[in-house]
Amino acid sequence: MSGVSLKPRAPFAARVDLSGITPAVTCPLTLRELEHLPVPHGGRSVKLAELFFIEGAPDGVLLIEIGDERLDGVGAGMTEGELIVDGRVGAWAGRGLSGGVLRIAGDAGDFLGAEMSGGRIELAGTAGARAGAAGSGSRRGLSGGVLKIGGNAGPRAAERQRGGLIVIAGDAGEGLATDMIAGTVSVAGAIGPLAGRGMKRGTIIAQARPELPAGFVDTGVHELVALRLMARRVAELAGPLNGWTSARRLVGDTLMGGQGEVLVPG
Amino acid sequence: MILNGVEIRDNFAEAFPMVGTRLIVTADTPEWALTAGRTTTGFATSVIGCGCEAGIERTLSPEETPDGRPGVSLLIFAMDFGSLKKVVPLRLGQCVLTCPTTACYAGVEGGKRVPLAKTIRYFADGHQISKKIGEKRFWRLPVMEGEFVCDEDTGSVEGVGGGNFLILARSRAAALHASEQAVAAMGKVEGVILPFPGGVVRSGSKVGSKYKGLFASTNDAYCPTLRGTRPSALPPEVGSVLEIVIDGFSFEAVSEATKVGVAAVCAVGAEGGVVAVDAGNYGGNLGPFHFKLREIMKDSAGGTA
Repeated sequence: MSGVSLKPRAPFAARVDLSGITPAVTCPLTLRELEHLPVPHGGRSVKLAELFFIEGAPDGVLLIEIGDERLDGVGAGMTEGELIVDGRVGAWAGRGLSGGVLRIAGDAGDFLGAEMSGGRIELAGTAGARAGAAGSGSRRGLSGGVLKIGGNAGPRAAERQRGGLIVIAGDAGEGLATDMIAGTVSVAGAIGPLAGRGMKRGTIIAQARPELPAGFVDTGVHELVALRLMARRVAELAGPLNGWTSARRLVGDTLMGGQGEVLVPG
Repeated sequence: MILNGVEIRDNFAEAFPMVGTRLIVTADTPEWALTAGRTTTGFATSVIGCGCEAGIERTLSPEETPDGRPGVSLLIFAMDFGSLKKVVPLRLGQCVLTCPTTACYAGVEGGKRVPLAKTIRYFADGHQISKKIGEKRFWRLPVMEGEFVCDEDTGSVEGVGGGNFLILARSRAAALHASEQAVAAMGKVEGVILPFPGGVVRSGSKVGSKYKGLFASTNDAYCPTLRGTRPSALPPEVGSVLEIVIDGFSFEAVSEATKVGVAAVCAVGAEGGVVAVDAGNYGGNLGPFHFKLREIMKDSAGGTA
């Protein structure tokens, strides 16, 4: 089969771990092989066909027709192709994604795009806690690629982010970009308290000055050519940076020796 | 072949492989972009003495540049990739970084990478900021004026250096006028530069010299004041010769520039004091690229063979 479509047979009785079920894995398989693919379901492993009706789809695409908040690890470890979810997903969607595109039409649980290193995630709804962050025990969060969140993001989005770009069209919860190492996060809505605590480097693009920890220093308003460059070169930032030629640059977290920055309209 | 009374001599320009790159330099105003461009491509007429050959390819409108400001595109050529990697960061650091309001971007995508900010970012002494979104990395260097924005590196191409033609005219004024017309017309060709002052060389050279240690010396066969004392290529009516040297990203680009330039010289014509168009070569054994004047001009309108 070149493309695969999965349609849940019934609402899931337990959490389903779909990590590893990526277009690169499913597309080369025959229908029969797909049906027997083992999937963790609650405490046991079941065959993919026990949970889903399996049908064909356009080449290179893995389509999940009805999303469910009990579907964890959707698109985790993806390296290529396109995974589309027509609905919501659980935790760890797109974890460690390094290539390809993951599109989710609904909301996502915690750890969306955690530790992803390339490719692209587009979420239409809201994200749970720690989007683009590091998993438990990991030192580095999202390090490459683009994570787009159409709604709000929960607490600690971009925690320990190491690179890449996170664009949040709604609000960001408490502790945005905590311990951020590098990279860029743009928030169109409001930003919760304690953003940027422990930030080493990296950039937060905000539309209004957020409440920042004491370690942030106001360097004043500056005309920055980089704003114009990013607005033209990075399609995702064309909106957030539209019309910006100057910005107020707040640097921190200086209490930790950090040189990160928060840019707000100047 | 005679075009508008101008003899196109049955000769060819002999050119060499060079490695080239393109930089896009922008600034707050077109004037400052041009200043940066002229400074960066200054003292870059010939690889023999300058280490590279460089010039302004064209000016860019704000819509054409990465940051939406006016700019210039610069081409820099060197004999090999190793030298290109040395001269580009040097010129970037001394001439673009230092110039008010400028930013510098990659102008070629493919090929081996020529370092830009990759090298000069250390000027920022640890305060440099890197941004990598998608595949492209750029750097922000805090400077006294504000911030210098510069791409990590740029690509390179295997180009052609040393395409040329000679304008043989009755007088110095006529040669100068014809060459100015040629330079203006050739400025519209993409992917080429004319590295010499104003695009024109008055001291074309031959290989070797009577003096030990000199690689090149005055092209005595084309010096009007030596006519008769040396084997001369100049008929009696020629009073002055100017040369136009072309470096380009490809054989086709240099060929097109030659065609446009020679056509502009012929448009000045015999009435404007132009006698003939010739080309410089070393017998054809040194350079792999030959630009045969008559072949290039063969389909030009109004020509008589």
